[in-house]
Amino acid sequence: VISRAPVAPALPPAAYAAALAGLPGMGPARLVAILATCEPAAAWAHVAAGRVWREPAVARTLGARGPRLVAAWRAAAARVDPARLWRGLQDGGIGVAATGAPGYPAPLAGDIEPPAVVFHRGAPAALDRPRVAIVGTRRCSTTGAGVAFELGRDLAAAGVAVVSGLAAGIDGAAHRGALAAAAAPPVGVVATGLDVVYPAGQHELWNAVAAAGMLLSEAPLGTAPERWRFPARNRIVAALADVVVVVESHKRGGSLYTVDEADRRGRDVLVVPGSVRSAASAGTNALLAEGRAPVCSVEDVLVALGLNAAAGGTPVTDRRPPPHGADQPVLDAVGWRPSTLDELVLRTGLGLPALAAALDRLCEAGWIGRNGGWYERITAPAPGVSVP
Amino acid sequence: VLASVRSATLLGVQGRPVRVEVHVSKGLPGFTVVGLPDPTCREARDRVRAALLSSGLTWPNARVTVNLAPPGLRKVGAGLDLAIAAGLLAASEQVPLGALDGRAFIGELGLDGSLRPVPGALPLIDAMAEPEVVVPDGATVEARLVGRHVIRPAATLAGVVGALTGREPWPDLPPPVVPPPPPRGPDLTDVRGQPAARYALEVAAAGGHHLLLVGPPGAGKTMLARRLPGLLPDLDTDQALEATCIHSAAGQVLPPGGLVRRPPFRAPHHGASAVALVGGGSATMLPGEISLAHHGVLFMDELGEFASAVLDSLRQPLEEGVIRVARAANKAEYPARLLLVAAMNPCPCGEGVAPGACRCTPAARARYARRLSGPLVDRFDLRVEVGRPQVGELLTPGLHGAGESSAAVARRVACARELAAARDVPANAQLPAWRLDEVAPLDGAATRMLERFLRAGRLTGRGLGGVRRVARTIADLAGDDGLLSVEHVSAALALRAEPGFLDGRAA
Repeated sequence: VISRAPVAPALPPAAYAAALAGLPGMGPARLVAILATCEPAAAWAHVAAGRVWREPAVARTLGARGPRLVAAWRAAAARVDPARLWRGLQDGGIGVAATGAPGYPAPLAGDIEPPAVVFHRGAPAALDRPRVAIVGTRRCSTTGAGVAFELGRDLAAAGVAVVSGLAAGIDGAAHRGALAAAAAPPVGVVATGLDVVYPAGQHELWNAVAAAGMLLSEAPLGTAPERWRFPARNRIVAALADVVVVVESHKRGGSLYTVDEADRRGRDVLVVPGSVRSAASAGTNALLAEGRAPVCSVEDVLVALGLNAAAGGTPVTDRRPPPHGADQPVLDAVGWRPSTLDELVLRTGLGLPALAAALDRLCEAGWIGRNGGWYERITAPAPGVSVP
Repeated sequence: VLASVRSATLLGVQGRPVRVEVHVSKGLPGFTVVGLPDPTCREARDRVRAALLSSGLTWPNARVTVNLAPPGLRKVGAGLDLAIAAGLLAASEQVPLGALDGRAFIGELGLDGSLRPVPGALPLIDAMAEPEVVVPDGATVEARLVGRHVIRPAATLAGVVGALTGREPWPDLPPPVVPPPPPRGPDLTDVRGQPAARYALEVAAAGGHHLLLVGPPGAGKTMLARRLPGLLPDLDTDQALEATCIHSAAGQVLPPGGLVRRPPFRAPHHGASAVALVGGGSATMLPGEISLAHHGVLFMDELGEFASAVLDSLRQPLEEGVIRVARAANKAEYPARLLLVAAMNPCPCGEGVAPGACRCTPAARARYARRLSGPLVDRFDLRVEVGRPQVGELLTPGLHGAGESSAAVARRVACARELAAARDVPANAQLPAWRLDEVAPLDGAATRMLERFLRAGRLTGRGLGGVRRVARTIADLAGDDGLLSVEHVSAALALRAEPGFLDGRAA
């Protein structure tokens, strides 16, 4: 049924798989169906010839748009040279693996919804160790970002690959922590093409993760951030992880989607408890109420992984200078949730100039952070922490 | 026969002298006004005619030409009615020509011959070089403020004619009213809690620093802003005259006694157009809200809801204290030295104050943030997050030292303003950058602290100047006259919160 026309036999199947993934309207479902019926090279020839897909599995995914897609794919395929595409990928240091092919990430191979093609940058060996996904909201509190940072750092120090989505907020903080430990490699799973940095501000982090660990995406190069790709990305995060840790989540949010995907795959979901007053912890606290296990320290995660907590990396000591005698009451007044200047003036009874000076000393020493007009306690500092 | 009468018209907030020439000659009866009258001014013909007839005077059955000189200047409004009527009466020999000498005339005529006050009487009268001015009854208060002229008040055209012909004496000037002390507005005692916001208000009043209040709905931003004028000292004589001129030109109701002695408070709605805010308009060239707030407070509630073009039109006047409006036909310059207080929600949902509490999408927040340009936000040297007061603070009277009155704060503000005056500026916000090293020197620790902020990219060069000015004010309020210490500088920095939505633009 499928064409036997040999096209440029020197190219590996992955080159055709990459070319197929780049066709307009070629989502994961269609690509999986097509690659299940034939080899990538044959599928490419089929598409380039503009032939109709008669296999029921493929026809089903094409649906009513079938004839139009075939025409569009044929037109697009005429403009794409798989050989050039392949050279470009290799020059960019980007690896491609199709399902079933060698080099396809082992944790995804047995998944219930595996991506048909995976693009990756960095060292695939990053996946050959225990993996923990640290996920959470982009709109996090400083406390949440601090917790994500510490978990990322301590898990990496314990030899665990930290998997996350490289988004702003919790994701980025977890990766920064993993990088700060300079131990186990981090894994970033992104929803865009590997050459499209999103959000744009994450450029440095993106490159650092690729250099220290690996970046992974099922989207071909040049894919812009599209809404549906983020939940799809979250499924890969859940599929890659042995354990999923949710640090902070609003009542509704993408991290809850990751939790659903983890449930479908029978992965453990651990949750960091938050203040009942913090909107950024509303979703996570609800997860706890469902009966999920709480995470109060890195040991909780290591135990869930079945690792010996004591064997983990070196405990991190607090190297911050202890607060000035007079500053301690101010630090106590900040407490553990964001406070405004107004509240601090009322709690300490200090005049604003004296209070501001004390707050500034505490900020400088790393005891508290300033977020707009709000002051928040920082649990433990790490070199180069930048709180989102 | 030709008669020539002195009057004035308004250009922006200034009066410009106008010579009204009336020529009555034989010919086909008619009435023409030349010399760039605006529609209101052109309609003078019908008002004057009716007023003359109602007053028992004669409308000349002849060709009448009225020329308003200088012809290049646009004449606006009905203020020339009386001058045109007087010229017409002189040219038609119903009053002696000589009676016009040394007199200037201002006033609008009613169809019944009554004389009505016009907007801008103060600057109009101020523009007159003649020793005597004939003004409507209602304008005597403003005429007195100018104080250079013999004032001839009149209620009707008939009264003016009677006096000009010598049949009747000029009516007596009403005795000057002793104005009651102007109301000082709502008091700061009403504000419960919110010590940092109160302090920011005090610093803003003392140093003239623009203030941005960011907080959720119901936090009391408007309540705080309305109490700011009450902290400012009374206007001095020059300031009061300037402010009164602007209010008069804009046709605003003047306080009893005529003089605007308290700093004005203007709160334009966020639907205001750029012209309403900065002034202008095609012909009338009225002063805008920012000029009405001259020497006072301009309060812009819901700053994020103003059109961004409107907001950016504020940048130049905020910097220079004047607004120059240029239109095809006219140019005008209005003073606009004001204290800007703005209030806004932190994001469209209004809950984005506490970190992690906002329900907005990043795109919505980005759209909201784009409304305010960075340079405009940079003009605010005080930016304070105002939280909702806690229940206890609302219900417990006198808790936490709440209830210091406006008068007590105003005393400290007045002391600080005196210190500023000793530096030859009305307030520290007007200190030029080159004088900062001289009047706002930093001690060693404060220098190191600012250096740290600059290195971290949390402060710009312009921001540095702002912080030093605010720190100067904070020291002045505390009565510290020497070097600025860490406390002063860190308080200034604490009152300069980078609003949450501007994260990432701070550097």
